[in-house]
Amino acid sequence: MSESPPSANQSEGARSEDEGARLFHPIDTLIAVGIFIFVGWLWYVSSQFDAVSSLFQDNITPDKFPRVLLTTIVIFALFLPFEHILLKRDGRDIDKNRSRPVKGIAWVTMAALIAIVGAGFYIGTLLMMFAICLVLPILWGERRLKYIVPFAIGFPLFVAFIFQILLGVHFDPGVFNVSFN
Amino acid sequence: MEAITQGLYLLVDPLNLALILGGVFIGVLVGALPGLSSPVAIALLIPFTITLDPVPAISMMAALYCAGTFGGSITAILINAPGAPPAAATALDGYPMAKRGEPGRALGLATVASVTGGVFSLIIFIFAAPLLAQVALEFRPQEYFALAVFALSMLASISGLSSLRNLISGAVGVLLGTIGVHLTTGVERFTFGIPELSEGISFVPVLIGLFALGEMLAQSQTLDKTFERIKATATKLPSLKELNELKYTILRSSGLGTFIGILPAEGSTVAAIMGYNEAKRWSKKKDEFGKGSPEGIVGPEAANNAAAGGAMVPTLALGIPGSGSTALILAALIMHGFRPGPYLINETPEFVYAIFGAMLIANIAFLLIGLVGARFFSLVTFVPNRLLWPAVFTFSMIGSYSIAGSLFDVSVMLIAGIVGFFMNRHGFAAAPLVMGLILGKLVEETFSQSMIIYDNNFFGIMESPVVLVFFALTIISLSSPLWGLLRKRRATKKEKEEKQA
Repeated sequence: MSESPPSANQSEGARSEDEGARLFHPIDTLIAVGIFIFVGWLWYVSSQFDAVSSLFQDNITPDKFPRVLLTTIVIFALFLPFEHILLKRDGRDIDKNRSRPVKGIAWVTMAALIAIVGAGFYIGTLLMMFAICLVLPILWGERRLKYIVPFAIGFPLFVAFIFQILLGVHFDPGVFNVSFN
Repeated sequence: MEAITQGLYLLVDPLNLALILGGVFIGVLVGALPGLSSPVAIALLIPFTITLDPVPAISMMAALYCAGTFGGSITAILINAPGAPPAAATALDGYPMAKRGEPGRALGLATVASVTGGVFSLIIFIFAAPLLAQVALEFRPQEYFALAVFALSMLASISGLSSLRNLISGAVGVLLGTIGVHLTTGVERFTFGIPELSEGISFVPVLIGLFALGEMLAQSQTLDKTFERIKATATKLPSLKELNELKYTILRSSGLGTFIGILPAEGSTVAAIMGYNEAKRWSKKKDEFGKGSPEGIVGPEAANNAAAGGAMVPTLALGIPGSGSTALILAALIMHGFRPGPYLINETPEFVYAIFGAMLIANIAFLLIGLVGARFFSLVTFVPNRLLWPAVFTFSMIGSYSIAGSLFDVSVMLIAGIVGFFMNRHGFAAAPLVMGLILGKLVEETFSQSMIIYDNNFFGIMESPVVLVFFALTIISLSSPLWGLLRKRRATKKEKEEKQA
């Protein structure tokens, strides 16, 4: 069975589909949808603000200004999916930074930071600094102990000296009661 | 005159001088490190300076701001990696000049142009700030509201990939400013039952997170990046003949940079790009640009340093930041109990002149650094990223913690950093969000006051001609990226037609 050449209607449809694909930037459309959902949720939250005392009824109510801002954000976000067309005409590439996926090391770094800061509520400020100065260089591929050890011990002590001794900042000693003092 | 003397007298204290020179040293160092820039350093310095008196604290930051802008040019010239965004235009001709065997000459040209631009803008600052403050004294809430809206609209033309995304970032920043107890009614907004949010989001952790942590996460992906280094020779001052040839370019860029700096929200990066473009447009040797043209070095350098001084004018006289870095200085002023604006200049002029003096000292100091120490500062790029960024994060964490002694602020910094990293990846710049956050309170406060004055009739505020002028400027500012695009399209079309003909 031979394939018939595409009819005029078919090619027109393909063209318009192609233009449609180019009209909406897929990632920016997703971002815009995300913004709409977030704004919708915040709008709902603003509707739950406590009622204002009758004394202030004539003034601007607490929800008014945030709602003006939410509306502004939505209006701007409406243009996001199409903005790439204008940027491209101007010689700017919106996908330049995001053309490659986020590298694994960035995700690992984020996870490590969240874990260390989360643990900071228990281990205290000084141990948290030691953990950062030890874990991050190792995660990032530093294997020379002659650099890692002095850095992981010396730098937190130096920072603690500046902030705790010189500037009088109270460092949370955590459950292990570790403090520079 | 008495206020100027008093202001300069405040700086004579050895500790103050030492802190200013410390600010210059840190500024050049940070400016020279690719990835670290003045806003990051100022954000990290805020917690450190919070325990100091206001004069040395703000002077140190102002000195760091000036020096950071200059520091970026050292690595732009020697390793083709601008230490700070404003130095990107300097690399276009600075690096080719260094590559052809004249790194000392390129550094000398950048130093002289930077100092000239910086001093020029300070002279304008000393005259313009009090005049602007005098005018602003007459402003009522509605005029301030219109001015703040205009400043936010200028985010559309701030440097960055997209005007639209800058505006969204700015609006999100203002929205973040609404978190906490509403001052007029006492109603809690967006606190989600978290007691720490009742007083609102603290500036510093957000700023540190967006600028320092966001950059750190970006740097984590380029750990093995290497630069081709050009061995630095001693900085060579330009000859009188050469200076004579370049004087108009330097002066033109200084004027342009100061003007751009004074505009709300515009900063050194925009000034540097325009300084470069104007230097090229007026040059008789256009074909030398991109190949190591001296005009291509002095044009952006004079402009970006002039913008640093210019940006301090609206910051101090109106309380409207002129750039990302001055937004941080504004936050620091607020934390020290000052309300930047016309009252600051009229009631404590000696304080403002002390800042002016600190910036002048900074300019003289980095002239010496540029001449003697540029090649040593370029060595800072040898510090391995694998140790540098963990150190930056440690400072960021303690800086966020030390403001209120709260680990909650460290969590805010972490969230801001991660959000900032993804924002940057998708073209949403951090600086507009910071400007929005800092201006947010002023916008809401003046909006509410205006509505009370005009009995909730928004159009009532249009009675003021000043408001009308600011709103007209806002419309122009918002539509300017579109006009620019249309103009560019027309020019390209014309060019094509000419080629075909």
